[in-house]
Amino acid sequence: MDLQNLSYAAIQIVHNFGAVAVVGSAFLALWPGLVGMRKPLAWIMLAGWVAQAASGGAFGGVSWLYYGRFPDIHGIAVAALLIKMACAAAGFMLAAAYIHSGIGWSERAQQASWRALASLAATALTAAAFLRWFS
Amino acid sequence: MRNSFIFPILGAALLACSQMSLAEDASVKITSPADGAKLDAMAQNKVVYEVIPGPNGDHTHLYMDRKEVAILRQLKGSHTLETLSPGKHDICIKIVNKGHTPIGVEQCVNVTVN
Repeated sequence: MDLQNLSYAAIQIVHNFGAVAVVGSAFLALWPGLVGMRKPLAWIMLAGWVAQAASGGAFGGVSWLYYGRFPDIHGIAVAALLIKMACAAAGFMLAAAYIHSGIGWSERAQQASWRALASLAATALTAAAFLRWFS
Repeated sequence: MRNSFIFPILGAALLACSQMSLAEDASVKITSPADGAKLDAMAQNKVVYEVIPGPNGDHTHLYMDRKEVAILRQLKGSHTLETLSPGKHDICIKIVNKGHTPIGVEQCVNVTVN
């Protein structure tokens, strides 16, 4: 088995599960019957964004390792990558803030936070499609 | 049979050699325009190409003056260039992997647009 493809595949697995974590945790946290699970879901959200950022960087790392250069992307793909990075940074900070003190926030503020996290996750996934096919 | 440990090593070496020869099979050929060709700025200019991606390649990127202008997913075909400004230009096609990283196989031609 080709080690290069195996490396990309392993990173893709982490990236995909990171995507599932950020989208799934946000939508579960907004489910009325799961209000009590919001803090553990915030940890899953945080881990998901870390996985997304780390695996995203690792894609570039494997390219550098094998070819001495990063993926060659331009235009729409660069914009999509920047959007993904911004979503990851904002999502990480909001999830961290929620873990730190979110349980004490009003229900309205908590709902708004999880809606924002869901939007960030959905935006990042949408941008990922453009990054994939406009590169 | 005491030397049976050598067979896996020989097998791995043969596999490595076969991978190396496969990697050498990747190629790009720009059949038109030819290197040094003179193009008409008012004409519809096309790049005609043939690509063998090899084991690590996936598709190709087309560059005009080192700027990516198109993604070429067909291994053989043509791409119509946008209106070219008069002067010298270089056109390159690079094979990239699934992660869009150039694998080091490319062909470039220099053209002059009048």
